[in-house]
Amino acid sequence: MTGSVRDVDLATPRRRRVANLVGPVALLVAMVVAGGVLPATDVFTLRLVVVYALFALATNLLIGYGGLVSFGQAAFFGAGAYTIALGWLHWETSFWLTLVLAPFIGGLLALVVGAIALRTRRLYFALLTLAFSQLFYVVANAGYEFTKGADGVFGAIVPEFLRGRNPGNGYLFILAVASLAALALWKVTASPFGLVLRATRENRERMEALGVNVYAHQLMTFVISGFFCALAGALYVVAAGSATVELLDWGQSGHAVYMTVIGGMYVFLGPALGALAYTFGVDYVTQSGLGHWQLFLGLALLGMVIFRPDGLAGLLSPATWSGWVAKLRGRADRGSEPEGRR
Amino acid sequence: MDSLILDAVSVLSTAGWLFIVSAGLTLVFGAMRLINVAHGSFYMLGGFLMTSLAASSAGIRFWWALALATLVVAVLGALLEVTILRRIYQKDHLVQLVATFAMMLIIADVAKTIWGSRARTVDAPAAVDGTLTVGGASFPTYRLVIIAAAVLVAVALWVMLTKTALGWRTRAAVEDPELLSSSGTNLTLLRTGTFALGAALAAFAGAVVSPQLAVAPGSDTSIIVAAFIVTVIGGLGSIPGAAIGALVIGLAQTIGTSVAPSWAATSIYLAMILVLAVRPSGLLGVAER
Repeated sequence: MTGSVRDVDLATPRRRRVANLVGPVALLVAMVVAGGVLPATDVFTLRLVVVYALFALATNLLIGYGGLVSFGQAAFFGAGAYTIALGWLHWETSFWLTLVLAPFIGGLLALVVGAIALRTRRLYFALLTLAFSQLFYVVANAGYEFTKGADGVFGAIVPEFLRGRNPGNGYLFILAVASLAALALWKVTASPFGLVLRATRENRERMEALGVNVYAHQLMTFVISGFFCALAGALYVVAAGSATVELLDWGQSGHAVYMTVIGGMYVFLGPALGALAYTFGVDYVTQSGLGHWQLFLGLALLGMVIFRPDGLAGLLSPATWSGWVAKLRGRADRGSEPEGRR
Repeated sequence: MDSLILDAVSVLSTAGWLFIVSAGLTLVFGAMRLINVAHGSFYMLGGFLMTSLAASSAGIRFWWALALATLVVAVLGALLEVTILRRIYQKDHLVQLVATFAMMLIIADVAKTIWGSRARTVDAPAAVDGTLTVGGASFPTYRLVIIAAAVLVAVALWVMLTKTALGWRTRAAVEDPELLSSSGTNLTLLRTGTFALGAALAAFAGAVVSPQLAVAPGSDTSIIVAAFIVTVIGGLGSIPGAAIGALVIGLAQTIGTSVAPSWAATSIYLAMILVLAVRPSGLLGVAER
């Protein structure tokens, strides 16, 4: 499962670096245009897509880059959302203040959770992070007076111009914040810090032998992920206008994991692609009246994970295409086998 | 005194029920290094089949329905192992988690189509229905049946794993599958059998508890979280660990309910966090490198 080709090399030549920028910039332009062209209902869905894209990207910092499968990122997503919602509900705190505060609260929470959870490995880690997020979920549920429990916090939480009748404003705001956050996350993955993170995923013992404090490094990663998950949660309040306890449920953590798997965890923007496919897919199945969304999601996930473990991004990668072209021409050249298809 | 008996019965029946489910989960993990999220689905299917069979006009007796529901799910488990799970044994944990989670979604959808979204339960047989009074404490007689079932499962698993050839083959499959295979054991069949047994245990738990605890859509996710907690506390792959984990959770839940009822749900997560903070591989688990 561990290929060496799945990450962008740090030492990519300048020309490829510029080429690497073309895709994201084109995508961003397309997203902005889509917000102006598409009907309001789709723009509303797009707002959630962007929120979940950031959530999935932040989760993938742990899963794809760190090899740390966390099933508890909803804790930080929910913390971000509740920072804004509860600040508004109890103290009428300014939206802008809580928006800035939210990621820091998420990061702080991640520091506490990570300090304990990172003492464990693999499945224990996955299940311990799940337990933490479930703990916050049941606490939020039980503390009805403070959190409004299952009823959720609704109302004019965000400023007038972000609500309004035109969903485009809110969309552009969410897109702008999320894009900046994605850029920051990309910087993290492309830095020496990110390289150490990936190297630890591949061979923990060797990195320890080299003198890397793996625990501290992974804890830092966990905090960064929690920071951006909370920012995504804060943006969720802008997109949905509410905060409910379901945001803390492990099902919510699951969403980020499935988006990552569907989109492709070994390409930086893969999880964002997964968020797009997943959100619109669920939306489509629900609206079409077909029902059985669990069945479709289950089949899609199963097919993806068994046949295309590198996700949609892997399916779209040039290597896969040239592999198919080669196959069509009947050239069974083993050297040009598509990557990641072991 | 009477409240002490009441609490003890409550702890033991909760622990017994959790143990049966978790033993199946931990057996499959121990023997195949497979983490099965769909384990809760087998539990739910066992419960649904039980309520349908026992309530059907065919007049199937309670105990026969119990056996039949368990058997049907065991066969289903074997089929899923052959068609899907075999492909993911060598993959990493994330692939296993997502693939078996996908199976859980599919089974949940199918079950909803067949049984609807109503919660279902079944009447206990007359012999063990009603309440029992011991030393001034009254509790449902059926709780003793659950405790007895758990003891039966524990003894049967212990005998199977330590006293029979099948048992040492199962254990050897983890230690050195290649050597076992080359010395004449049909590893493929052994794995299918182990998985079917794991599924059967989940279904048995779902069926046996159905007179006490209604089965409904969503039973699958709630039981799998509980079963994960139990196995992780005890140490993944360890059956005695599952027994200890079940007792810890049974205790935590009972204490939590009597101390602060509205916050009781937090107790099992706190118990797990506490145990793993002190012992990162569970109480009886072996540290994973």
